[in-house]
Amino acid sequence: MCSCIIQAIHYGTNKITKGTVKKILATIAKEWLLMRRDIAGMMLIFTMPALLVIVMSLTEEGPFKDYQDMRFDLLLADNDAGSLAQGITNGLRASKNFHIIDSLDGKPLTEAKLKDLLRNGNYTSGIVIPRGVTAEMVNAANIIANNLSEKMGLGNAFTVRPPRDTMYVRVLFDPDAKPTFKNSITFALDKYITYTCSNMLINRMGKLGNATNPTDTGVRDLKRVFQGIGIREVALNEDKKEQKQFINSVQHNVPAWAIFGMFFIVVPIASHLIRERKEGSTLRITLIPHVQIPVSLGRTIFYTLVCTVQFVLMFCIGIWVMPLLHLPSLYIGTHPEALLPVAICISFAATTYGYLVGALFKTANQAMPFGSFSIVIFSAIGGIWMPVELLSGVMQRVAMISPLHWSLAAVNGIILRNGDLHDVWKYLCMLLIFGIVAWVLSTYISTRYRSVQ
Amino acid sequence: MQATPLAITIKDLYKQYPDALTPALAGLTLNVRENSFTGLLGPNGAGKTTCISILCGLVIPESGQATVYGLDCKKDKVAIRGVTGVVPQEIALFSNLTGFENLKYIGRLYGLTDKEIKQRSGELMERFGLEKHAHKRVSRYSGGMQRRANIIASLMHRPKLLILDEPTAGVDVQSRALILEYLNEYRQNGNTILYTSHSLEEAQKMCDEVIIMDEGKFVTTGKPKQLIKDTPDCKTLEDVFLHHTGHTLRD
Repeated sequence: MCSCIIQAIHYGTNKITKGTVKKILATIAKEWLLMRRDIAGMMLIFTMPALLVIVMSLTEEGPFKDYQDMRFDLLLADNDAGSLAQGITNGLRASKNFHIIDSLDGKPLTEAKLKDLLRNGNYTSGIVIPRGVTAEMVNAANIIANNLSEKMGLGNAFTVRPPRDTMYVRVLFDPDAKPTFKNSITFALDKYITYTCSNMLINRMGKLGNATNPTDTGVRDLKRVFQGIGIREVALNEDKKEQKQFINSVQHNVPAWAIFGMFFIVVPIASHLIRERKEGSTLRITLIPHVQIPVSLGRTIFYTLVCTVQFVLMFCIGIWVMPLLHLPSLYIGTHPEALLPVAICISFAATTYGYLVGALFKTANQAMPFGSFSIVIFSAIGGIWMPVELLSGVMQRVAMISPLHWSLAAVNGIILRNGDLHDVWKYLCMLLIFGIVAWVLSTYISTRYRSVQ
Repeated sequence: MQATPLAITIKDLYKQYPDALTPALAGLTLNVRENSFTGLLGPNGAGKTTCISILCGLVIPESGQATVYGLDCKKDKVAIRGVTGVVPQEIALFSNLTGFENLKYIGRLYGLTDKEIKQRSGELMERFGLEKHAHKRVSRYSGGMQRRANIIASLMHRPKLLILDEPTAGVDVQSRALILEYLNEYRQNGNTILYTSHSLEEAQKMCDEVIIMDEGKFVTTGKPKQLIKDTPDCKTLEDVFLHHTGHTLRD
């Protein structure tokens, strides 16, 4: 092992002669010829990841759109026809996320019909506004106004009755509805109920004593009054260009599955290495003096280039092909030039891992399942299938050991956070160290155990 | 009279592979003279391939010493590979490359210039009757053509010592004649040839000297004619071989 490292360092320092470079270039040319002649293999290397990127982006479009751009049908049975129902309906209608259905076939929707539709699975959610809920809201507002009026020494202004605690706006869901979906609807409803109640309260207070009519002061329009207070999403890096894209199916799936495809090169590389060993051409190379390191370097450089081309191709698909499929175009950040060194580091790690698998196993039957399963496992724990943030705490820590996670974190640092190389250097170092360790190990094993007995 | 210098010396070589019941080499000792055509003969499992593999540094012996032109096989294997050409039993070529592309790649790895590669590969391909097939993939070559291409690849760097492991196994009469003719010519140009074969008729015809080994040990050596003469009731080298190694099956 030590001799292998020393040999590599030796080459890296004073043995990079013209002859060595020629041997590296000869190996690159040989690998290119072999790849060009294996059309099926080349198609697999480029078309399968491309298909994967497109299919995953299309299939996960829904889940990623969830609660952002999607428009949900929402059944509404209004038994009250008062101002509260009006406030809720207007608020929901104004939201781009909901499509209110309050009548079917020209008839107002009843509670019974609404439940039937939900039970049949035709719709996922519905709201029932009970009769008398607006009266209950007015009564509650009057109670508060009377309390204030008494404290101001004006006496009771409104007739009130004791409040009832049975007047709920009822929300019904299809049993299949996800908790996050339920939350988004209940939050929206809560917001509109609070808004309508506040409007009502201001209205009642405006009628106290000699107070000025709120209509005259413009206070009635709560949205306008409170427009400076609330929530607005802003770019994380204020000093850099504003973020144009937030996570969506394309932003997650294109880099994630491109990286998966790049690492899947483990399978062809490992089987290629084993085939050369079986057919005896590796023996031929072993019998030539001073070529182990240049040949290994040449092969690594070649497949690193192939993987980099793969990455560029996947990103081109993300930018130009996705919009043709009615998906958003891939946003590549404010420093797209930083993606090239990132792609090279990922490619280097993927290629050397392929050589390590090829060196570790004697037959393709052993290497191919191990290679593919290990990549599937690395991708599952590394946030390729779903963002790491959605994994459990333990799995988030486990993700840190996956080279696919380092790769995705580096790419996301550039394309989502508008970072440059300074922002992702940590991940690039990890990928390079992983690649160097895998390369040294594979060269050592190939030299020591696979060619000499 | 001055003794002929030795190209190969092997002394007390011992090699046992893991999981093998008996050693592949059990104290083998032999010498090969420079500028000779020596046949290394023995039944299956005698240790011929192991012996060749030790000489080119592919197998490390447990004990004993082997030298090639005075270079130690353990310490100087890189230098030995520079002066040795090895033709393995299997076709050690890239089957999806053409004959010429294989030679070009191998030549470049040996550090030859493109001009030298073109000249050397051209002359060898012509000599071995492959010039018309130079741009055909090796996978599409016949068995005999693949054998010839395999030999050419080992000759690109003009080795002083050529080691061939059963170079004529499975080839037709014409290919065999061509291969043997070239090898004889190569030896006459001042080079040394060590080859293994199961064709004792071929060895009797081609070799200046043969070494018979069995069960990892040296059995006998000498010029074929002398061995036949010295061994009782033997008319051919095959008779000598069977006399020393017996009739028991070895598989």
